[in-house]
Amino acid sequence: MKLGYKWIIEYLDIRREAHEAADALTMSGTEVEGIIHETIPREVVCARLIEVKQHPDADKLKVCTVDTGSETLQVVCGAPNCREGMLSAFAPIGTDLGPGMKVKKAKIRGVESFGVLVSERELGLTDDHTGIMEIEADLKPGDVLVDALDLEDWVFEINVTPNRGDCLSVIGIARELSAVFGAELKRPGLSLIETDPPAAERLRVEIMDTDACPRYAARVLQDVKIGKSPFTMRRRLFQAGVRAISNIVDVTNYVMLEYGQPLHAFDASFIAGHGIVVRKARDGQIFTTLDSVERRLGPDDLLICDRQKPIALAGVMGGENSEVKDTTADVVLESAFFDPVGIRRTSKGLNLPTEASYRFERGIDPGIQAEAATRAAHLMQKLAGARVLKGVVDVNHLDLKPRPITLRKSYLSRVLGMDKIDDREVEAILTRLGFVLAGAEHGWTVGSPAFRHDVTREIDLVEEFIRVFGMDKIRAELPAFRPVISPVEKLGFDTLRTAISAMGYTEVITYSFISPKWNTFFKEQALELINPISDEMKVMRPSLIPGLAMAAGRNKSLQRRDMSLFEIGTCFLPMEKGRLPHERIRLGAVLTGQREETHWSGKARDVDFYDMKGLAEALLPGLSARPSEHSFYKPGHQADIHLDDRVIGHMGALSEDILAMLDIIDEVYAMEVDTDAVLKKTFQGVQEIPRFPVTWRDLSLVADEGVGYSDISRTIRGLKIRELRLITAVDLYTGEKLGPGKKGITIRLTYQSDTRTLEDSIINKWQDKVIQSLSSELGIELRQ
Amino acid sequence: MEKQLEALKQSFCEELGQAHRAEDIEPMRVKYLGRKGALTSILRQMGSLGPEERPRIGALSNKLKGFIEQALADKLDEFKRASATGGIDVTLPGRTPRRGGIHIINSVISELEDIFMSLGFTIASGPEVEDDYHNFEALNIPEHHPARDMQDTFYFDKGILLRTHTSPVQIRVMEKTGLPVRIIAPGKVYRCDSDVTHTPMFHQIEGLWVEEGITLAHLKGVLYEFIHRLFGTDVPLRFRPSFFPFTEPSAEVDIGCIMCRGKGCRVCGNSGWLEILGSGMVDPNVYQYVDIDPESVTGFAFGLGIERIAMLKYGIDDIRLFYENDLRFLSQFA
Repeated sequence: MKLGYKWIIEYLDIRREAHEAADALTMSGTEVEGIIHETIPREVVCARLIEVKQHPDADKLKVCTVDTGSETLQVVCGAPNCREGMLSAFAPIGTDLGPGMKVKKAKIRGVESFGVLVSERELGLTDDHTGIMEIEADLKPGDVLVDALDLEDWVFEINVTPNRGDCLSVIGIARELSAVFGAELKRPGLSLIETDPPAAERLRVEIMDTDACPRYAARVLQDVKIGKSPFTMRRRLFQAGVRAISNIVDVTNYVMLEYGQPLHAFDASFIAGHGIVVRKARDGQIFTTLDSVERRLGPDDLLICDRQKPIALAGVMGGENSEVKDTTADVVLESAFFDPVGIRRTSKGLNLPTEASYRFERGIDPGIQAEAATRAAHLMQKLAGARVLKGVVDVNHLDLKPRPITLRKSYLSRVLGMDKIDDREVEAILTRLGFVLAGAEHGWTVGSPAFRHDVTREIDLVEEFIRVFGMDKIRAELPAFRPVISPVEKLGFDTLRTAISAMGYTEVITYSFISPKWNTFFKEQALELINPISDEMKVMRPSLIPGLAMAAGRNKSLQRRDMSLFEIGTCFLPMEKGRLPHERIRLGAVLTGQREETHWSGKARDVDFYDMKGLAEALLPGLSARPSEHSFYKPGHQADIHLDDRVIGHMGALSEDILAMLDIIDEVYAMEVDTDAVLKKTFQGVQEIPRFPVTWRDLSLVADEGVGYSDISRTIRGLKIRELRLITAVDLYTGEKLGPGKKGITIRLTYQSDTRTLEDSIINKWQDKVIQSLSSELGIELRQ
Repeated sequence: MEKQLEALKQSFCEELGQAHRAEDIEPMRVKYLGRKGALTSILRQMGSLGPEERPRIGALSNKLKGFIEQALADKLDEFKRASATGGIDVTLPGRTPRRGGIHIINSVISELEDIFMSLGFTIASGPEVEDDYHNFEALNIPEHHPARDMQDTFYFDKGILLRTHTSPVQIRVMEKTGLPVRIIAPGKVYRCDSDVTHTPMFHQIEGLWVEEGITLAHLKGVLYEFIHRLFGTDVPLRFRPSFFPFTEPSAEVDIGCIMCRGKGCRVCGNSGWLEILGSGMVDPNVYQYVDIDPESVTGFAFGLGIERIAMLKYGIDDIRLFYENDLRFLSQFA
């Protein structure tokens, strides 16, 4: 909300700099986000147009003789309102009216002009550019305008929190300042001459739904003269970002800004049957609001109707069929209280947020409807010569019995941690905020004013006190505590991150939502957002692979060929409707390009499957890999990762489809595992270091191609030779010498005993057993 | 004897001239200077000399001893230098292992966790896909309340959403564990928003301390300690009253701009202050949702954005850099 500072202090007896007031508001909970300083150049003066003649060579231009107080000058002017005798704003040669707008001596169509007559918009005062500024005030030529019209001002951009609907008004902000500075709050003028007949004879109000509309107040005005509002009113509306329209409409907006009470003026001649009926819309009913948009309503939307038809969308916007026009003579002025939730539903449902709906949603003052109507009538009488019919038609179903709140001194200290709180300070602050205090045992009984519907509990009063008293006055105090040791999970993840980055992998964080085009690669149906930010971020990732692949693709496109990336993050596996999905924290990695940096000592090799598998083995000792068939990997170049007979992840070369989709030329290897498995602690106490020497033997074997390394190691381990400590593959080759369908593999068997040095004879016995069982079970022969 | 010494010197010099390796030096030292060496055996004949000759020969032999020692040492040095110049080109590049690194956001989270753990907080977590109840209702944000406008929410089915803040962890922890509660909860949060200062996914850290006797003064104490450890003890703080549905009284905490030291700059919008976290005393309504008697305890809660801290700490001006995963950016923090 934007408001001019001079308007605010009109209702307040303070002399404070605007910045001081802004700081005070901010530090008491009403944040002033910005201050715009407004002023006009001191050179601009009041001038009288002594003579206005037609320009000899231009139909639309006039040549004016202008009395600037100090001299009489010839000025060429194109404004339609320029006429002899008027007072306007004059900027002499040399005046700087903003960037690129320095006033120069000019010759316009052959006639010299010594300065310019300027519009309100050119001075930055309003957006009115229909003509040169009309000075209504009693000024004389030569008066410095900024002083004579008191034009310097500061526009506050105020961020009102959602709980403080009462602050969405000049009076609300002034009340805050009065509490902080201890100043008296003044009320706007309400004086009025009322005429017969009583308004109630000309308007009957009937509320069909008193929950949605507990109060509807109205005034009836006749014989208004529609015209332009005075300068000060238009300027204040402009500062608040509200467009000036006509005196009647402007007054409704002006009083809304003053009181926070949205008002609406109907042209009474379009209200059939002198009656207002407040009722819910029919489902599917069409209604045209005054912005000329046809809106389809539902049964929860509230309408203001006459005896025949709807004339306004309650609390949101008036209807096109009854709006005030230049021809309007009689006016019905609405000042109602609508249920905040209902207005919010309608405004949200129609996507139609307005100044009115914004205020109703946040809860307006339920005690102010009649006064606001009277204030508007007062201004309409003053500015539009309205005849105001006697009385306010006020149908009021509100129950405004104040519910007293107990405020204990002990509670104040218990929440705030302040030892000594001055009772008088509490009383002064709350009273200035509009609360009524009565002393009670150990504290006070407090009555909340109607406009503070947000204050219903003791804690609310604690906040009211401390925000004005100043939180900075509370001393900071560290409570007694015992430092905690790092929880296992944090230690685990921190260590894991450090370990993987030490292996050369860079951690990335990718978005949890991905494009639905990835769905084809994953079995599970991904969880889909109703309102994604874009189609590329529509479904929750079931896997880290897409994000990592995209990160690799992105860096490839940035001319980075070699990289190793990892991510630890949540994956989402949907559950049945209405239940939260399973969330699994996974570790994923991708690897592509050269294994190491290019080096002068030899040709660097590209990474392959076994580099990726190596990372998995380093993180998960004892894993076993079994061929898998995931569509995001290349067939035959992928495996599931098993640990303790459980599938805990997978690894492989990304499929051609994915590489094509991401425009990647090189092979990219990836893996993904559940972090539970990685973080599981396998440490089982310190093992004794063996005292006897190890002995190893190599066996060169020839096997059918279909025999896997895991078959060989499983067969050997099946022999259960206790002293066999390690089986490693030390060479693998295929070649013509072996014959078709055969491969050569050399394995190394390492033996060691805990109790003795092993003799050759016993090792030879074991070796024979190994050879025999490989031969009988897998048809493997020793290579000759 | 003088001639013997002279001859010894000569033969030493010849032999030294033939030495080609460092390994040759030690045997020569033994040969000439050792206990059974050549010089020693000459000196053993000193007894046969007259008293007038002895001092002169003694001096001569000492001089020779010094000469041999120096010559051997010099030769050894020479060999050492020679072996270096005849060796490898040590200036060629080595085989550098690839350097990885932890994402800057996770480093910052870890740093914050360490600070809060040293202040007695343990670490808690909760789901990223949340229900309406935990994300809003139990945090005193009813449906159709304008406070819901404060956060643009991503929805799945009715009532299921991406958490918009880490605050639902407060509820989950209080539901599960008894009092006292003293936790922080870092994690990802999501809002429908995307521009230079917003990404649809970002990180927050939530703090909650509920225990008998906890006050607003304690909230200030903990946050002062935290900020001072993170940004230095000379950074001023101010507590600006504000509104959060789940705390009351509530305060936004500003710190003196660490870029301009409060003088006013682009980063702080010339205010000299940076808004850094939201905080407050836990609203009694929240206790009722988790079946805690509001009269029995008090507590405070706070929440802050990790990206904001990282951007301030490292002078990063575009939040989107964190999630573009450009290695040219990420590797700067490795």
